[in-house]
Parts: sequence; structure tokens; C-alpha cells
Amino acid sequence: MARQMSLSDADKPGARGMMLSSLRAAASGDRAGLARLVIAALVVLTLLALLLSTATGASNASAVDVVVSLLTGEPSSVLSQRDRIIVFDIRLPRALLGLLIGAALAVSGAVMQGLFRNPLADPGLIGISSGAALGAVLMIVLGGALPMGLVGVFGGFALPIAAFAGGLITTLLLYRVATRYGQTSVATMLLAGIAVAALAGAITGILIYMADDRQLRDVTFWNLGSLAGATWAKVLTAGPIILISLTVLPFLSRGLNAITLGEATAFHMGVKVQKLKNIAVVSVAGAVGASVAVSGGIAFVGIVVPHILRMVIGPDHRYLLPASALLGGILLLAADMLARTIVAPAELPIGIITALAGAPFFIWVLLRGRSSAGF
Amino acid sequence: MIRANKLSVRLAGKLIVDALSLQALPGQVTAIVGPNGCGKTTTMKAVAGEIASTGELTVNGRDVRSLDPLQLATRRAVLPQSTTIAFPFTVREIVRMGLSTGLNRNAGRSEAIAAEALASVDLQGFEGRFYQELSGGEQQRVQLARVLTQIWEPVLDGEPCYLMLDEPVSSLDIRHQLTIMQLARDYCARGGGVIAVMHDLNLTAMFADHMIMMKKGKVVVAGAPADVLTDAAMEEVFGCRMRVSGLPAAGTPFILPQTAIL
Repeated sequence: MARQMSLSDADKPGARGMMLSSLRAAASGDRAGLARLVIAALVVLTLLALLLSTATGASNASAVDVVVSLLTGEPSSVLSQRDRIIVFDIRLPRALLGLLIGAALAVSGAVMQGLFRNPLADPGLIGISSGAALGAVLMIVLGGALPMGLVGVFGGFALPIAAFAGGLITTLLLYRVATRYGQTSVATMLLAGIAVAALAGAITGILIYMADDRQLRDVTFWNLGSLAGATWAKVLTAGPIILISLTVLPFLSRGLNAITLGEATAFHMGVKVQKLKNIAVVSVAGAVGASVAVSGGIAFVGIVVPHILRMVIGPDHRYLLPASALLGGILLLAADMLARTIVAPAELPIGIITALAGAPFFIWVLLRGRSSAGF
Repeated sequence: MIRANKLSVRLAGKLIVDALSLQALPGQVTAIVGPNGCGKTTTMKAVAGEIASTGELTVNGRDVRSLDPLQLATRRAVLPQSTTIAFPFTVREIVRMGLSTGLNRNAGRSEAIAAEALASVDLQGFEGRFYQELSGGEQQRVQLARVLTQIWEPVLDGEPCYLMLDEPVSSLDIRHQLTIMQLARDYCARGGGVIAVMHDLNLTAMFADHMIMMKKGKVVVAGAPADVLTDAAMEEVFGCRMRVSGLPAAGTPFILPQTAIL
């Protein structure tokens, strides 16, 4: 795959001609060809990021060895037993989790922005982040007071489950508030979301006030987000929820395109608007809830990724959603590699990296791309 | 035919459309006129199936409320007063949306149809422009092109389709007002129907086959423009004493669209 897109191949008439004709079409307002090229490039980059991510780290297992062992499935001859465990049980689940979560956050951001017709919307608007944080902090601070049997049943999953439940309950509550006579007002949802976030923040504040030093540290680190606790078990619990959402959401693309012209216009064009909203909110709540549950709060991916892509390939959701999934995954893996290596052997919470690198870059993009973005 | 009988709409407890009846025949431009706030747009929304209403409401004999959005979208397309968008779509992408939702029988020809639709609203060559960078009048014409592509064939499977236009010429210059009204007339000539909310009574007199004058949610008078536009009706509906077809005092210029050579 990687070889197909290498420089020498791109110079051949076929590939080059394809790129030129896509660019020419894009200049006349048809960005579909360009979007397909970008998505193809992102697929290659995703595989590359996955490879790099499984090959870099404190262990000295080289990238080549890892590829060989990944491809042949007979790793014993190339990799030592210790490296095998590091690659397959530590790095690989972590990389996969990073890809899934990056994709979930970016696609959810793009869908929320389409639904709210606002490029600043993010999944936090529908109460998922605040609710999940409340659930997590509740478990961290008061979890010790739960009967031992309960904690025993859930074990290490008590925290993710509490976060997931918190996010989902808040979202459903908000959705009920904003829905009257079978119609959901996104404006009401936005305003109620701000109120609910403040309320959840206040209750979280009370809990933090009650917390001891160790719990405070746990809360802080959970809020900053991290992929450090990645295990196959977490991939297998969060993965299916995220994958279902990532499969369902692209089917809403045409409807989301129509909704950018207004909900009434979308209805006139044949879109079942209320059904679309139901599916979008439930899918986003599931995907983001599952992501936040296993990784904590990772800021910024949901806004930055769709925004950058809209500037390059345009806002057509049929291309924006898959491209966002890929770029979100790539960026989160890159951030995670930085998080792991910058202060090795210790590691930084990934939320710090996404904000530290993302914010200045985003401002640069805004300054530079204002005119070409059309607003 | 689009037919409403004793159509009523209540918004927040207030009766906005009050037992209104109207018929829009294929082959005809039906214009709805009346003062601000008399319920023209609300009537249009109710007829389009967008808001809840009571009374009889049918399109080509079928109950509008029993049709799902997709079925409605193949029979009528709606042009709103204005459309703002938050994302940087190009003109081509917006127009093609009309073909991408609903039932598209012309999938193979969508590129050609989009170009033809843009040309029909005098926007050929605008495909690559960003919608947000256009003027209000240009944006309105882009939306009209999109609406046209949605029901490109005025007659589909032997049934007429309807353009529902809410103040289609409100932000256009006089030449484009004439272009767009002529386009509506052509659509009717090819077997479709048009319902338009209008403010310009001269254009209405010139292009409408049938007109409905509304006041406070009710039809005051309906019929051919020559019968509806009377001094008495103008005073009763608009509260404005004026003479229909009267000439201004000598020396004051006046320009009537009727004098244009198309």
C-alpha cells in the first residue's frame, strides 16, 4: 500500500494526470475527485501510523521485525518472547484503541456540527462529556463506598462503565428536554446542554471538594485523558460500540448535507429529519461515551479535524465523515506517540498533547485559510 | 392539482390560517398576495406538509399527510424566502443536492441537469464559486436552481409536479425578476404547476393565472388578476386607497415590468 503512493509513482502520468484532473474539477466546484484522492492518501497514512505506533516505544523491537511478525503471524523466530508481548499485548491494543477513539471523536464532531449547523459544535454540546466526567468522578471518589460485591463484579471496568452511563443518561435527559410534540429543537438542546454542563460541573466540584489527595490525582489524570490503560479487553468493549456508530453515521451523509440548508428545507428535499436526529444523537452518544469511558477527556479532535478537512475537500458529509474518521485516528496516534516518547520512560496525558499542539495549529489554520474556507 | 379545503393552522394557540380554501391547477401560476403577517408563508408551509394543519389537503388527489417526505419531495419542491448556510459549499455542490435527495431518475445526467438549471436562472459559470461569497439575489437564484433540479420533469409518470416559491423575486433586480417569473411560466407551460407568495402586484398581474388575496388568515377574494385587482380590494386588504391602472401625476417617472421586451 505504502509503495503505491511513493513519490516516484506519483510522478507517473497516470497518478499525476488523475491528481491534476481532480484539482481542475475542484476549481469548478466539484470536489468529489479531490476528496477521493485525499481519502486514499489518508488510508495509506493510517496504516503507516498504525505501523509506526506499534514499532516505537521503550523496547528495541524494530519496525521491520514488527511488520514481519504482524504479516507472517509466526513471530517467535524474529521477535523475542518479551518483544512479542510488548508489541501484541501492549502496543497493538493501544494503537487500535487510539485509532478507534480518534475516529469516533472526529466523526462525532463532524456529525454534531452538521446537525447543529454550526462549525463550533462538538459532542460536548449534547452533555456527553460533562455527564461522563460526572460519572467517572463519582466512581473515583465514592466508588470505595460501594459494596465489595459490586466492585468485584465490574473490577477494572467500574470506572469506564460509570463514565459511559453518566454520558448516556445526561444525553437522554437533554434530548427529552429538547423534544416536544415529537420534534427536537437543536437550539433548545444547545442551551439546555450549557445548563446541564454547569450543573454536572458543580456536582463534580462538590465531589472534588470531598476527595482525598489520591482521588484528586486520579480525577485530574482522568480529565486530561490517556490511552495508557489500553488492553485488549478495553478494545473489545469500546470497539464494537464505536464501530457500530462509525458504520451507521455515514448513512446519514445525504441527510446531513440537506440539513445544512435548514431543517425545513431538508424535509422539503425528502429527508426524515426527526428520524435522522434520533439516529445521530444515539450514535454519537454511544461512540463518544465509549471513547471517553476508556480514555478520559481528549479535547479538540472533534472540532479541529472536520474543520481542516472542510477547507481541503469541502463540507460534503459523504466524504467528510470517512476522511474525518481516518484523520482523527492518525492525529490521535501521532499525539499518543509524542505522549509516550517526549518524557520517556514516563508519559504525558494525551489530552495535553492534543491541546498543546492542536490549539496553535488551529489558530494558524484559521488565519491562513479564512478566505478559502468561504467565511 | 393541489387542493386545500377549510385548511386551518394554529401556532402557539393563535389561529394563523383560518379555514382557507385554495386550488392550484397544473399549467397555472397561482399567486398568494396579502399584507405582511396575513399568513401567506404559513399557508405555504402547511400546503407543503411542513407544519401541522387541519382540514382537507391533497396533492394530485392524495392526502398530503399520508405521504412520507420522500414521496412529497418527488411531487413538489419548495423555495424558502432565504437560506443561510454555515459551511463552505460551492454553488455546484448546493445545486446537486437537489438531485441527491429525493427520487433521482436522472442519476446519469445529474451533471448536465445541474448546469442547465444554473443557466436557467442566469448563473452559468458560477459552479465553482462559494455560496457564502454570493450576493443575496444570487444566493436566491442558486436555491431556485436547486429546487428546479429536485422536480426537473414538470410531469412525472403522468402526474404534474409543483414548484412552491416563497417570495421568489424579493431580492432580485428587475431583469432577474422577469427572468424568474418567465421561468415559472415555462414550467407551467410544460405541464407543471406553480404556487408563489408574491409582493409585487405588477409582476403578479403580469404572470399569474390565478391569484388569492389574503387578510388575517382568510381568503378575501380569489380569481384571475383582472378580477381580483380592484380599487375596492386594494383598500379592503391592504388598507390603502389607490387606483388600479391609474397614472401618476405628469412628470413623475414610473416603470412597469409589463413594458419589458422579453
